[in-house]
Amino acid sequence: MRKRRHKIDEAEINIAPMLDIIFILLIFFIVTTSFVKEFGVDMSRPSNAPPKTEKISEVIFVKIDANDQIFIKDRLTDIRAVRANIESALAASAESPVVVAAARESDAGVLVRVVDQARVAGAVRVSLVALVE
Amino acid sequence: MRKRRAENGEDTEVNITPMLDIVFIMLIFFIVTTSFVKETGINPQKPVAETARQKPHANVLIGIDTEGRVWMNNRQVEVGQVRQLIEDAVNETPESSAVLIADTEAPTGVLIDLMDQVRLGGISEISVSAEPESQ
Repeated sequence: MRKRRHKIDEAEINIAPMLDIIFILLIFFIVTTSFVKEFGVDMSRPSNAPPKTEKISEVIFVKIDANDQIFIKDRLTDIRAVRANIESALAASAESPVVVAAARESDAGVLVRVVDQARVAGAVRVSLVALVE
Repeated sequence: MRKRRAENGEDTEVNITPMLDIVFIMLIFFIVTTSFVKETGINPQKPVAETARQKPHANVLIGIDTEGRVWMNNRQVEVGQVRQLIEDAVNETPESSAVLIADTEAPTGVLIDLMDQVRLGGISEISVSAEPESQ
């Protein structure tokens, strides 16, 4: 290096290669970032913890059988009537949990719609169990 | 600027320090926000739900097709393998949340089994994918 600067503290490091790398990293992360737009309905399974005993009369029990028929309190119900039925049941006792018991062969779409309608009706606790024949 | 170089005109330098600061901040932002989403490999028909909400941090996606087959990472897996795959995902990103993308005609039994497997694998935030109702 012939053109050495006179003052020592003016010595500079060449940062151009570092900049190149930083830019390449930046472009890589910009390109690979994908903001997921997935919409979903929260579902909860009863946990493995020892079950709280609920009086069976307090639980709003919704059954979906293998033919995708919906029963609320053992009465055949249309999917459009699920919300109204759960609303009237909740009016009697607002804190009642809703238990959706679905047969293993039933369609998942029906289950999602029932859980959704229960939420719309105002149920706070909706849990999901498999129906044992 | 007093200390202009005298030797030749080509040697004049632009101060790139503020640009570097910005580039570094952008780099850190993108590193932090990048989550490598594992696509399922199938595109099921989703049910419509009024209470569907956006899941911004969902990085584990599990697909169930009409026959009840389970898809993860663009390939078909068995229900028994799901737990191991979930544990791997939790090791990579501890705060994962899972979205089950079930076809409307998928059997519910598989869905319930999968929810149990995902929870055993260490993810407690599980939701089932649905289309938000168009207003």
